[in-house]
Amino acid sequence: MTVVETLLVFAAAPLAVVLLLAALTLRPDRTRSRYRPGQPWEHEAVWYEPHAEHGPAAGHGGGHSGGHGGARPALEAGATGRPARSGGPLGGARGTW
Amino acid sequence: MTSFLQAESHDTATEATAPARVDEGTDHPDRIFSYRELARLDEALTMSSRETGLRFTLYIGDLGKATRARAEELHASSGGDPAESVLIAVSPGQRVVEVVTGAAAARRLPDRACALAVLSMTGSFAGGDLVGGLVNGLRQLSDQAGHPWRRPGH
Repeated sequence: MTVVETLLVFAAAPLAVVLLLAALTLRPDRTRSRYRPGQPWEHEAVWYEPHAEHGPAAGHGGGHSGGHGGARPALEAGATGRPARSGGPLGGARGTW
Repeated sequence: MTSFLQAESHDTATEATAPARVDEGTDHPDRIFSYRELARLDEALTMSSRETGLRFTLYIGDLGKATRARAEELHASSGGDPAESVLIAVSPGQRVVEVVTGAAAARRLPDRACALAVLSMTGSFAGGDLVGGLVNGLRQLSDQAGHPWRRPGH
């Protein structure tokens, strides 16, 4: 076994393995970041609404079956432009974490 | 040879359907949840609303300084009949969750039941699980509210 072979087997190969694992685990997460308590929330405000009883956007044609609509989030950009109506004496609860 | 196949594509989305399109992923760089999580949220919201006859809506975003007042404003403008609406407003940046029930909804969802659901939600939120907490909270609220006496139109 020559010196070059020894170096390749005992230094280069482990180093390659280590670098490969490091690249797999330490790369910056480019996907969306998971929420962690204490982090600032820098997303736009979103509304999620339930689908209407008889499929979304009733009156927009019958091609949209209810089964297909299940995976579609009803997402609204904001509450502006909607009439504000009071729902009487309000109840509810509040919590912090 | 294939030139006759190249038709110009038209965006057929209307104002009502465009926000629900999930196959056009490039338009929304600000994506909070994955599709899977969105589907869970969607199912939880829709099923709890259908089972109870109440209208559950979910707001995720900043609530300002007066979180309760802002949540009640949002509840008033959440669409539908506010008396039968239940708003879950979560502000992850402020670590606050507010549940607002309208007058009719509050009869079936007493404040103690809401507090219990909030408690379970905050437990999950503290662990970093926003969607799980919301789904469980919705389930608890809808279980508590039960079925309506008489479903309109059925």
